[in-house]
Amino acid sequence: MLSPHRLFNRASFVAALAFLLVSPARASVDDAQSFALQAAEPYVKQGFQIREDYWGGDLGAGEKKAVRQQLFKGNEYWFWMGSEIEKATVSVHIYDSEGKLVEQPDSWQKGHFAAAHVTPTGTGSYFVIVTIEQSPEDRTHWALVYGFR
Amino acid sequence: MITFAKFFKVNLTVFAGLALSVQAVEAPKHIDVKQLSKKVEDVVVPLPNEVFGALNKLGGVNWREYVRNDKGSNFTERPRIALLLGTVIADGFIAVQAEDAPTVKEIGQRVLGLAKGIGVGNSITPHAKAITEAADKRNWENVRRELDRTQNSVQSAMNEVHDEKLSQLVSLGGWLRGTQVLTTVVNKRYSDEGAELLHQPDLLGYFQTRLAAMPEFNMKLLQDIQAALVEVRPLIDVADGRIPAPAVKRINEITARLDAAIITKSQ
Repeated sequence: MLSPHRLFNRASFVAALAFLLVSPARASVDDAQSFALQAAEPYVKQGFQIREDYWGGDLGAGEKKAVRQQLFKGNEYWFWMGSEIEKATVSVHIYDSEGKLVEQPDSWQKGHFAAAHVTPTGTGSYFVIVTIEQSPEDRTHWALVYGFR
Repeated sequence: MITFAKFFKVNLTVFAGLALSVQAVEAPKHIDVKQLSKKVEDVVVPLPNEVFGALNKLGGVNWREYVRNDKGSNFTERPRIALLLGTVIADGFIAVQAEDAPTVKEIGQRVLGLAKGIGVGNSITPHAKAITEAADKRNWENVRRELDRTQNSVQSAMNEVHDEKLSQLVSLGGWLRGTQVLTTVVNKRYSDEGAELLHQPDLLGYFQTRLAAMPEFNMKLLQDIQAALVEVRPLIDVADGRIPAPAVKRINEITARLDAAIITKSQ
């Protein structure tokens, strides 16, 4: 399982770097993606293949977005969400096509990073729900990447 | 210039901010999917190796049987090149499963040629080089990653010039080739678990919707694919995900016919 301490050290480093290098006006979904990828990075060593493609956009505090995703039984998936707004709180959760929460208990949420872990019990469509729980900004960029093994 | 001390201070501040903001919000155990449906984003098209990986875990797949390295036909119509490009990238993933380095390298060059034919060659030249280098080192994880990057770069380049429909055809070509191989494998040695990997009704619906929105591509091949998807949909859109052997066989026949049409010039 991912060490939160390790994640926080790495995350805080990247967040600081982003703070120094990216002015608010230039902040974008691409910046949010870099944070999502940062959350994903430790899992590569565990054999997860991280998809190059990602989803992103901007949401207001309290707003949700659903992404429909085809998952295959036999694979194991992680979804990682990030935002460049470090005071934001984000979450990501996975539901099956009936609307039942199916993520594993080691799924996590830490400030502007969140991740959901699922081992599908059936092949089919699932819903990945991303939420900006809190944010000091009117609109908050988010990005979602996923990996499988 | 930013001193290290200043940088460290900022880093600490951000870390403190992060720590304070940790407050998990418990997710509801159930949601009303019907309420969500208006906000749902398009279904995401999985890479062929996602399904190959799941299939591999069921055991006994001789991937070398499915490796294809013929150069195939050359086309001038961009929709046809896009479909073929997706098919060839899927062939690349099959060659990786088979750990066939010479074929992987040939496919890397073939992808580059097709991408040039569609005007997006520049975006993938570095990936084609990386595929060759990784194949030489038999570093299969890197080859997989570069194939993913190749597809992503091609599609991003297409999207940038508002060729989203071609980008969707790349995905469709890959999906058709992946489904053909999946059904061939399951058809040879049927199992409920293998057949269940075909349970992709939303993905099929996505492709149907996208094809219906391409009237400007007035091509027999695309019309054939549209008609074929109409036939395939009830075979895989089963409530319990149990897809019987005759349905797998039929889907295999359909996708094999479409694959032959995509790679040959007669259509």
